[in-house]
Amino acid sequence: MDNLDAARLQMAFTLIFHIVFACIGMVMPFFMVVAHKKWLNTKNPIYLTLTKSWQKGVAIFFVTGAVSGTALSFELGLLWPEFMKYAGPIIGMPFSLEGAAFFVEAIALGFYLYGWNKLPEKFHWFTGVIVGIAGVASGILVVSANGWMNAPSGFDYINGEFTNINPIKALLNDAWFTQALHMTLAAFTATGFAVAGIHAFQIYKKRHVELHTKAFKIAITFGAIAAILQPLSGDLSAKDIAKRQPVKLAAMEAHYHTQKGAPLYIGGIVNNEKGEVTHKIEIPKALSFLAFGNFDAEVKGLNDFPDDVKPKNIALVHYAFQTMVGLGTLLMFAGILFFISLKKTHWMQNKRYWLLFFLLAPLGFLALEAGWIVTEVGRQPWIIHNVMKTKDAVTPMPGIVYSFYMYLVLYGILTVAVTWLMLRQIKFLNNSKIS
Amino acid sequence: MLYVVLFFLAFSLLLYVLLAGADFGAGIIEQFSSKHNRTLTKKTIYRVIGPVWEANHIWIIIVIVILWVGFPGFYNILMVYLHIPLTLILLGITLRGVAFVFRHYDAYKDKTQLLYDWMFRVSSVVTPIFLGVTFGGLISGDIEITANLENTNFYSAYIASWFNLFSLFVGFFFAGICAFLASIMLIGEANKTERRLYVKKARIATITVIILGFLVLAVGFVQEKVFVLSFFKNPYAIGLIVFSALLILPLLNSIKNERRIITRALAGLQVILILLAAFVTHFPDIIITTNGSVNILETVATNQVIKVLGIALIIGGAIILPGLFHLMKSFKMIKILE
Repeated sequence: MDNLDAARLQMAFTLIFHIVFACIGMVMPFFMVVAHKKWLNTKNPIYLTLTKSWQKGVAIFFVTGAVSGTALSFELGLLWPEFMKYAGPIIGMPFSLEGAAFFVEAIALGFYLYGWNKLPEKFHWFTGVIVGIAGVASGILVVSANGWMNAPSGFDYINGEFTNINPIKALLNDAWFTQALHMTLAAFTATGFAVAGIHAFQIYKKRHVELHTKAFKIAITFGAIAAILQPLSGDLSAKDIAKRQPVKLAAMEAHYHTQKGAPLYIGGIVNNEKGEVTHKIEIPKALSFLAFGNFDAEVKGLNDFPDDVKPKNIALVHYAFQTMVGLGTLLMFAGILFFISLKKTHWMQNKRYWLLFFLLAPLGFLALEAGWIVTEVGRQPWIIHNVMKTKDAVTPMPGIVYSFYMYLVLYGILTVAVTWLMLRQIKFLNNSKIS
Repeated sequence: MLYVVLFFLAFSLLLYVLLAGADFGAGIIEQFSSKHNRTLTKKTIYRVIGPVWEANHIWIIIVIVILWVGFPGFYNILMVYLHIPLTLILLGITLRGVAFVFRHYDAYKDKTQLLYDWMFRVSSVVTPIFLGVTFGGLISGDIEITANLENTNFYSAYIASWFNLFSLFVGFFFAGICAFLASIMLIGEANKTERRLYVKKARIATITVIILGFLVLAVGFVQEKVFVLSFFKNPYAIGLIVFSALLILPLLNSIKNERRIITRALAGLQVILILLAAFVTHFPDIIITTNGSVNILETVATNQVIKVLGIALIIGGAIILPGLFHLMKSFKMIKILE
């Protein structure tokens, strides 16, 4: 493995890990404060038990997200020093604001976790709300920095020099809004379905059914609403990419030949050497419509882009994109199913209902990771779109592969540990009496 | 605006050293305690730093962000040449953070606690050592900056600067300072019987810091490190160290009289003076290389960037500092009884 591949794998691996924890740490506080609010309103002790057990989850995920985030703030420089040397000052704005938002989150969490019976009830609850809001704000800011890599702005690039730097313009780059919206909804979908799925399994096993049903309803409501809104945001993103990064769009769709009224492929096997997709379902003219809102619009194919500006691994981008869209659609239908089941309550008496939601639990996160693979691998070979190549940004230090192995082992162990801890939390919750 | 940014950089670094330093030190004290006292220290640590420890460690992120936004050239050198110790710091920060939370939030308190405790203690010792080693590497004079890294051998480019006696002693010295800060903090939190324990720890930590500080200077002097030589030539730096040393007397006195606030203020001041001495010795030439030095002010970003960064820091500071102050106050004023 050469240094560049090792660095890319390490970055990908740490991000894949961090995103899961960051999303849960950002979305779960909302579930927690809803349960908390219901406890304050109803004084039903079930809600108190639920709030306290969710808060433990928040604490564990927050810290894992925080330490892996600290690691990332170093890794950006450790792995991509040349990128940070030039990009650092330009995208400093979202990162410094993110630092501030994250700080606020940590302070608010300190108040929340340790404030039981010590702070005034309403203020205590409100600190929980701040945890959630600050978390979402920092998520949006980080995504905005990533948006800048896709849609660089706020500087002039003349003869290899970055001049006229305007950090505010860089923050408000063309991609920030569509990406941040898509990611925020994805975080709510993924976490909502994951948490709801875990509680659904407990109901399926008939443990503390009342508590887990309340928990399920809170989590799935967030997840379902986000999942139903997500296709709209996806459409905005697709149209945006079609305009700004046509080569990424072509890679996502494995669209090789430039044509008017381009069809949309569903499924299929990519043969990059021959430049064709076999075994697919073809919907005529749909790609042109989805990308440009016009059935006869011309969509430029991969064959018409020079080799040095398109990603090497077209198949990966295409499969990841299909995975994301497929799973996203499935979750949208599951969300609709949930809202119908609120009317048709007898569905919830059926064990298979709970089994279904349990099986859906990991899918949101799979879709979310697949989406990041699309946007990151799809941007290659660029680290800053059309400005700097990834290979020119990597650290000159050889042997990154060992550092990659170290992170692989470390985060592998952490994943197992956190999963195990969560199982213990659930076991503890199920064995405890609710007074 | 450059001075605003520099102020926040120094301020964040200082708070990181004092607050996170005391956190690390608490783990070091726990490591060097008997079995019974470990349990005691563990409980006290949780009570004292539980609500604030996460915030304490965010200062390093602020430092890193200010460096990469405001001083990209400096950040670049740090990240390329000191890659290895920085990676080890990250390993330590990660293990320590998760161990701290795991041991307090695991639903069942069983034998796995032994593993969490061990992880917490070991990473509490190792992380500050490597933080110090990294700083030692910056000022060791062994960083070989070259445009031609492909043809430099791995050892002299990426290892020699930090893996040497001088940098290692700086690392131990910093860990000693952390233990010192923690012992002072714990004295203020302990009850009558426990007090004696932490006073003893504080005494040992103080002596250790003095010995290690002496060793750093001695090794640096013998090996003719530019940093140490210019330290001896700088009357302000020496004055600050002497002042810091003299403060031990009122510190002992205030410990005896159980004056919590004054004790902590004095210990904090001592550490600030030591940092200040290091600062006046070689600011603005923060990095000393094999053939000269790097002036941090020459690696600064453009005016526009510094202006925006300064504004962002002022706004961020205005939100964070009152919140943080209130957080610390809330949990110090209200005694948490277990």
